[in-house]
Amino acid sequence: MTGMAPVAFSLAKREFTRFIRQPQRVLGTVAQPLLFWLFLGAGFGGSFRPAGMENVTYLEYFYPGVMLMMMLFASIFSSITIIEDRDAGFLQGVLVAPVSRLAIVLGKVLGATSIAMIQTLIFTIAAPFLGLHLGAGALVLLLMGFLLTGIGFSALGFLLAWGMKSTSAFHAVMMVFLMPLWMLSGALFPIGNVPGWMKAVMLANPVSHALVIIRAPFYGGPARLFTDTDYLLSLAVTVAWAGLCLGLSMARVNRRERGV
Amino acid sequence: MEQCPAMITIENLSHTYPGTRKMPPRTAISNLTLGVRDGEFAILSGPNGSGKSTLFRILCGMTLPGSGTVRVGGFDLFAQPAKVREIMGVVFQSPAVDKHLSVGENLRIHADLYGLKGTDFIRRRDGALGWTDLDGRLDQKVETLSGGLARQVELAKVLMTDPKVLLLDEPTTGLDPMSRRNFLAALHKLQKERGMTVLMTSHVFSEADDVDRVAIMREGKLLAHDTPIALKAMIGTEMVVVHARNTEALAARLRADMGLAVRCIGDEVRLEETENGESLPLLERILERYRADISSISIKQPGLDDVFVHVTSKAVPDHALALELRKAAS
Repeated sequence: MTGMAPVAFSLAKREFTRFIRQPQRVLGTVAQPLLFWLFLGAGFGGSFRPAGMENVTYLEYFYPGVMLMMMLFASIFSSITIIEDRDAGFLQGVLVAPVSRLAIVLGKVLGATSIAMIQTLIFTIAAPFLGLHLGAGALVLLLMGFLLTGIGFSALGFLLAWGMKSTSAFHAVMMVFLMPLWMLSGALFPIGNVPGWMKAVMLANPVSHALVIIRAPFYGGPARLFTDTDYLLSLAVTVAWAGLCLGLSMARVNRRERGV
Repeated sequence: MEQCPAMITIENLSHTYPGTRKMPPRTAISNLTLGVRDGEFAILSGPNGSGKSTLFRILCGMTLPGSGTVRVGGFDLFAQPAKVREIMGVVFQSPAVDKHLSVGENLRIHADLYGLKGTDFIRRRDGALGWTDLDGRLDQKVETLSGGLARQVELAKVLMTDPKVLLLDEPTTGLDPMSRRNFLAALHKLQKERGMTVLMTSHVFSEADDVDRVAIMREGKLLAHDTPIALKAMIGTEMVVVHARNTEALAARLRADMGLAVRCIGDEVRLEETENGESLPLLERILERYRADISSISIKQPGLDDVFVHVTSKAVPDHALALELRKAAS
């Protein structure tokens, strides 16, 4: 069997090559969240006054939420190309090759994650204009947050897309499934001032924990964060989520159609 | 030939697609036993829905059968799929290439999947390209290639890894006659040179004449499996085919003078269903009397397409039975 890392790298590189050959795709995925951020940020700016956050503008509050949105949507929508791969025949060639099934999942997931990270990193250019400054350590933590979020949710996208017949079905599922998860993550409004039932949903939502590890580096370096139990809990949840989705995806690829 | 060890051994294979709410279960393969010898070029044929595509999916490890065993190169396909994948190459009906990438990039990815690196990769890639018409097209995107050339990318990919066993699923579908001929010629030459075992599904019988053995399936069962010559002999008859300047006139004279039941088909006069051994004396007699009217005359064996129609037609429940009937009649 061929080694896992070179196979995963080769397949991930293919995703990336395809992505950069479609400039519209780059523009579209960066421009949409940017507009979202600017319009919602400006619109809600005047009325956003949550307790304990008096000196945070809505534009600043919403900023990590938009980054999360970019990571989520870019990674999930990149992993749906698995449907196209299957229909166009490329996937068959990979499946009959002597490669680990995990390498097939990792190739797609890492490709999708790197695409999402590039887009999101373009967006971090805005940080200094909000008065947010990232030290070297904090930047590493932020990148780690992007990476873990990307892996977890592109693996989720992979898992959902694997058995689907068409990309349009996938879009529909994502709109009723992914959008609410993002809305209930604390990206749009803080978790503190909501009804009790909603708070429970928000805390159980893995996307909320991804948001915590993306937002925290803007307000503290590694020394502070690694002693913060809330941060460590969210980090653990995000790692576990990524592991779970990868494992389930691999099991899904491994499961072959069986006769009776 | 008989001593050759089996490369692919299929034993008692059965596959039924589980039913759903809307569809009852459907049996695609029932109790199939089939062997392909080492170094053999075999064709698997059958009408649409005969189960050959299901068998193909099982052989390349994408589907698990309901029951039965398959061994490839001595490995159990279901217990050790990774071992089998290492020695097997597969050419799919829809080429497994990324159309948005160049020929070179596609070959590179395939090499990575099989762990080929550095100069070994370059050597094998160039060796594989030597079998194709893809010279100087390494940087061209696959989507800009013709169907025939895209299929050749697929072939080059597979050849790079030097498989012991090559499976092809109707690889000439959608190719023009020239591309089809070139593809098959390259395939035959390769198979002989490398000693590969080739199993190809096809229902184009002009492709089957120079292969080692042909298996014909219908409704998930193996109806016939033999050399093309033996299969044609199964029908047991020959025909005398005459080309003449004026076929109708010659046919009329053959009927009137010699009392022969001849048919005009296109520009040929055919004497069908001649028993073996009778054709030559008949040919000589015709030639003696009508030499001036005849431009060519020959004895023709029934083609494999005749065998296919004979074996798979619904009117004939089983070819063995058909042979019994024939024997009883004669």
